[in-house]
Amino acid sequence: MGCGTMSAFRSLLVAEARILSRDRMALFFTLAFPLIFILIFGFLVGDFGAVSQSRIGLHVASGVDRSVLDASIASAGSIVVESFESLDAMENAVTDRQVDFALGWNGSTLSFHYDANRVQENYAFQQLAAGIASDFNLRRQQATPAMSVEPIDIGDVAPTGWFNIVLPGILAFSVLSSGLFAVSGHLTAMKARKVLDRMVVTPMPPVALLAAIVVVRLALGYVSTLVTLLVGVWAFGLQYNVSWLRFTVFIGCSTVGTMGIGTIIALVVRQPSSASSIANALAMVMLFLAGIYFPIEFMPGFLRAIGNALPLTHMAKAMRYATGVIDMAETEFWAITLAFLAIAVVLFPVLARYVVRPLRR
Amino acid sequence: MKDVLSLALVHLATAVRERITLFWFLIFPVFMLVILSLIFGQIGQEGEISFDITLINRDETGGFSDMIVTLFEKLAEPQANGQEPLFSLYVPNAGEDTDTFLIQEKAALRRGKRAAVVVVPSGFGETLAGGMATGRQDTASATITIYMSHTSVASEMATEIIEQMLAEVDRELLIEAGAFDPADEIAAQTIWLGKQGEETRYVDFLLPGIILMGFFTNGLFGVPGAILFNRDQRILRRYWVTPLSVPRFLAGFALGHLALCAVQFAILFSLGRYGFGATVSFLRPAAWLTLILSAVTFMAFGFLIASLARTANAGMAVANILNMPMMFLSGLFFPIAGLPPFLMAIVYANPVSYLANGLRVSLGVESSTMRPVLAIAVPLAWIAVSVLVAARRLRWDVER
Repeated sequence: MGCGTMSAFRSLLVAEARILSRDRMALFFTLAFPLIFILIFGFLVGDFGAVSQSRIGLHVASGVDRSVLDASIASAGSIVVESFESLDAMENAVTDRQVDFALGWNGSTLSFHYDANRVQENYAFQQLAAGIASDFNLRRQQATPAMSVEPIDIGDVAPTGWFNIVLPGILAFSVLSSGLFAVSGHLTAMKARKVLDRMVVTPMPPVALLAAIVVVRLALGYVSTLVTLLVGVWAFGLQYNVSWLRFTVFIGCSTVGTMGIGTIIALVVRQPSSASSIANALAMVMLFLAGIYFPIEFMPGFLRAIGNALPLTHMAKAMRYATGVIDMAETEFWAITLAFLAIAVVLFPVLARYVVRPLRR
Repeated sequence: MKDVLSLALVHLATAVRERITLFWFLIFPVFMLVILSLIFGQIGQEGEISFDITLINRDETGGFSDMIVTLFEKLAEPQANGQEPLFSLYVPNAGEDTDTFLIQEKAALRRGKRAAVVVVPSGFGETLAGGMATGRQDTASATITIYMSHTSVASEMATEIIEQMLAEVDRELLIEAGAFDPADEIAAQTIWLGKQGEETRYVDFLLPGIILMGFFTNGLFGVPGAILFNRDQRILRRYWVTPLSVPRFLAGFALGHLALCAVQFAILFSLGRYGFGATVSFLRPAAWLTLILSAVTFMAFGFLIASLARTANAGMAVANILNMPMMFLSGLFFPIAGLPPFLMAIVYANPVSYLANGLRVSLGVESSTMRPVLAIAVPLAWIAVSVLVAARRLRWDVER
């Protein structure tokens, strides 16, 4: 870079930083959006699929032995049991959601009572109930299982809850948004307002403008991911074993890579003002298909195939690996990281041409 | 009246022509309905979920171990109805060293390429047969190992399914050995507590939420968008040089907005009913009243945002900031029972919470979690506040 380019770069860097500090939308989506997401989703889906803390109601008819049933419930995990004097009181507790589901035993009938409207949770409750019923029947007949099953966790990383895995996905989404909007929001807006047209008649090389945007977005993205990670650790007690080298390199490469993807949107969408809206819509669609909130394996085959083709899916995986919550082949991580760098290398010259090319009408 | 109807038509036509508006008002709600129905509506159902499982049988004695292998193979067979099998099974090739294969497959499991690796140990069948003959089971030797990963929800779910499957095999073995009497087995009875006496289907729970989400985004983005962009681009100014008064403009705008909500409702309801088999009936006066109250509340809320924002971009920024917290902290999609007090405060101040619960209660797909009087009073209070603020603050023309 020549002296003039460096000087232009420094001026543009300051200008870009100022513009960004005034751009409330960009700041919101980069800094506040991930925080709001983790605060809401941390409490809403923190224990996705887990029922270990279930509260169950229990009514045993008077005079009926409950010792076998108590043993079966105890073997099902750490469940809080609340006893009720009558079946009606127990059923009211279920519908009032004082307990998650309830169990009645009158000496001949074992009944499980569920709130029909807890549609999102009943599957997990029924799984738990099936385990209790099966164990209860074996104990009643004093039967010992003929065979046993031993699950062994082979992960190199400590067992984590679903939200521990969700948070790096949100970080990946934040990086994606930052990169996409840097081009399809910020640059296209500059183009629409003819700011770029004025710039190209100055000695400023397009590369200096692009470099300034990249540096400012990278810095903001890095700070945003760090703050979000810290809030996750502080507010929800999440644990991460961050590899700072992988984390830093990945954020750098994925930010420039997603800026490259933003270039494609800016080129395809004829109206620059529509580009940010399209980017926003695409980011939202990707958010739900990339396994950020719901495990990709829970989706039907055709949606899994779409999900696996999305860049955000691979960004989320790489971010999870860099933060130490999943295992991944080292080569796969670097392949993803370098793929984003390659996208940037291929598309940045196109982006530079976009910057200097007059607006299409 | 003609001018009011013309304005309503203009508002409707403009919304339908704007592709990005169409995305947020129609395509995004449809997308959410499809995605959430496909994921949560069929969770755990065979044919709708598939796991990559490795099975290594080290037992050469056959018999019981072959029975287990056959069971896994059966669950990995292509379904006649074209649905995916429960398992995609990976087994070592003939003559392949099982130790090396196990190492490879454990590595694949760590990297998320497998949901579980199941190993039937050497001598499994013999130990099991011996135990069953003598009535003294040596479960330590007859142990099937499932390698899994706690970092993967899919792996945990697959392990649960395999454990249940093997528990069923175990039960059959015990019956065969005379150690368990099926006649003396207590069958678990399931009782669904609710108006219908059966479990509410997920799509019936989801559909009202998605319809409200559509109304909500329509009010939150559509109203300030239409008012502020038209004002900033000086389109509104052109109206004011005609004999049209602001109240008549508002009447036309409101009519167009409600018509858009009706179009949204018709499309989402049709998709829910005919695409996903929703059975919930909206032909109830309470449901219609709640839907109308919702559309009016969210429209008023949109005017509140329009009156608080100086420019169209600022209005969109405010709408974006409020969108996610209001939508997710309302019980539209996720249960909100266990939230901490500071988030519950948002839930209780949020009109969407009352309208979502009110609509679902009126449709019989949710128990009432809010006081019935509040379900009407809180949205009405929001309408009153919004109208008052908008009447005082909303500017109908750009500042000169």
